[in-house]
Amino acid sequence: MSGLLVVWESRDVFLWGAANTLSLVLSCLLLSIPLGILSAIVLTEATAPLRRLLAEVVDLLRCVPFLLLAYVIYYGLPEIGLRLDPWWAGLVSLTVYTTAYLAEIFRAAFLAVARDNIEAAHAFGLSRLLLYRRIILPQVAIMAAPVIGNQVITTIRDSALLMIITVQELTFAANFVSANHFTPFAPFAAAISLYLLMSFAVEEGVRRMERIRTVRYG
Amino acid sequence: MAEIDAAISVRGVCKDFDGFEVLRDIDLDLAPGTTTCILGPSGSGKSTFLRCLNWLEEPSAGSIRIDGTLIGRSGEGKAARPMARRELARARTSIAMVFQHFALWPHLTVLGNVIEAPVHVVGRPRRQAEEEGRAILARVGLAEKADAYPHTLSGGQKQRVAISRALAMKPKVILFDEPTSALDPEMVGEVLGVIRELAKEGLTMVVVTHEMGFARDVADTIVFMDGGRIREVATPTAFFTNPQSDRAQRFIRRHG
Amino acid sequence: MTWPALRTILDGAVVTAALAAVSILLSLPLGLLLALLRWRRIPMVAGVLAAFVSVVRATPFVTLVLFVFFILPSAGLELEPVPAAILALTLNTAAFSSEIWRSALQTFPRDQLEAATAFGLSERATFTRIVFPQIWRANLGPLVSEVTILLKCTPAVAVIGVVEITRAAGRVGAETYEPLPPFLVATLIYTALIATLVRGQRVVERRIARRFGWVRP
Repeated sequence: MSGLLVVWESRDVFLWGAANTLSLVLSCLLLSIPLGILSAIVLTEATAPLRRLLAEVVDLLRCVPFLLLAYVIYYGLPEIGLRLDPWWAGLVSLTVYTTAYLAEIFRAAFLAVARDNIEAAHAFGLSRLLLYRRIILPQVAIMAAPVIGNQVITTIRDSALLMIITVQELTFAANFVSANHFTPFAPFAAAISLYLLMSFAVEEGVRRMERIRTVRYG
Repeated sequence: MAEIDAAISVRGVCKDFDGFEVLRDIDLDLAPGTTTCILGPSGSGKSTFLRCLNWLEEPSAGSIRIDGTLIGRSGEGKAARPMARRELARARTSIAMVFQHFALWPHLTVLGNVIEAPVHVVGRPRRQAEEEGRAILARVGLAEKADAYPHTLSGGQKQRVAISRALAMKPKVILFDEPTSALDPEMVGEVLGVIRELAKEGLTMVVVTHEMGFARDVADTIVFMDGGRIREVATPTAFFTNPQSDRAQRFIRRHG
Repeated sequence: MTWPALRTILDGAVVTAALAAVSILLSLPLGLLLALLRWRRIPMVAGVLAAFVSVVRATPFVTLVLFVFFILPSAGLELEPVPAAILALTLNTAAFSSEIWRSALQTFPRDQLEAATAFGLSERATFTRIVFPQIWRANLGPLVSEVTILLKCTPAVAVIGVVEITRAAGRVGAETYEPLPPFLVATLIYTALIATLVRGQRVVERRIARRFGWVRP
């Protein structure tokens, strides 16, 4: 019981931690979704040298553990004259990492859009911008929602590693409270419950897209 | 027929895929307000030729004019340059197309499919486009399907939506690429019926088809292709009763 | 960077590899066991296992590591960092791989099971002789990619003091006051390890496809 009391009394710490996790993940998605789409367009449409270069970078990034990327960016940015506080360094690494995965997800999703669909768009005079905005991306949003949802949950999970570079996110908060009050169970259980809540929210979003999909695609 | 008056004017069009010649030196003029059926055995290049008319396939040589305007390249002969994407997209708005497998956009409703290009490419006001779209759908007997999604429709209904989508562009020419080949036999009639009506209204249409009866009844001109060349251009009566070439005679005997 | 510093990181690499190997050997069978238990649809058990999987899938791995490391002593188990790390890695990968096994079991052709029953195979024989030989081959790709995911998870165990690659690099950085070079070296080692695994996965998948002529039932 004392554990729950500790959590309740430290609720500000938890809320601050959860708010940091959410703001990191949301800012990351706001940046990495457009960047991922753009990269996927380059991966499908650009001429060979640029396309190959980007494909190599994306493949390489997907081989790096996130914590190491975060360390390299956190300690590397000052070397090139950029002093960022941990939150911003964390956002940069989370965005770079998530973009690499999303680029691959979007690339695969673009390929899954029926060819004749795209050909019809050309025949009716849709420009490339319209083709992506009106024909390809809406279909990708509907069809690839489950994979994108999985990636969002992965990004939430990755964001916890930023505690190691002292970003005060949710796991940092749980660790802090547990260390200060010598009651490990309740603080971590509270943090895990909050993570579970976030993942439920993502899954609900995916379910809504799937309902749209059933209506439109049968 | 003078080149200037033609709705479609084709000069010296060739197409090869990896050194394999699919179209050889094609010349053709089609008068406005007429329906042309392109016939020929499979592999004769007729679909490729149709797709060259709106530059979905890029001819290796030659020129195509729609209503007097060059498409795909600006300038002729040595001065020819590929059109900018934007220019090509604009040119394509006057040539609508109906595909063999419908190629409807699955994430848009029937009405959404019909008004997509008029609103976003041509720039017509949405309200006007919707009104016109509903009127066209009513004409092809699909008024009550305007808000349905394509996957709920039968093949024949899908193809009538595809035809409505083409009509909504108010194009100078409509190209039909084997519009009934992917349909169950009992649905062929409803689609051909719609095309027949359009022919009576004097639209300029080019139809690649295997439906001999339809071609005989509806076409003003029959173009017979074989081996990547045009072998005959004739009225249906002349073509079906008195074909000039051996190949055409054999083709009619087999399919007529 | 000096030779001893590099040695420290390479020693860390041995620990990382050992952690990954032990955890994968424990977690893949455990994942299969969880999937089989859920397949049986025993009311309470199935619900508890489903909840366990959702919790692990939602929980960041570093949070799970801290949780395991701090909780177990209060349950009377004094856990050293290395066993705690192995336990956390195993729980994590067992949960994820159980989903792979589960979908393999769910999509297993029903007529084959009926045929096995019709020929009098026991439930046990049906599994060992008919089902398992097919599903492990069919899902080798996703299972091997669980190995690379596990390897990407391992740096998180540095927080509880296991001196694997990341922790070793951190130590070198703290001693030399130059953290960037050792972390770059560590990144290089991970990337080489993981890229090799990914290549290996493709080769193995191709061989399986060639030998058995199919990839998935």
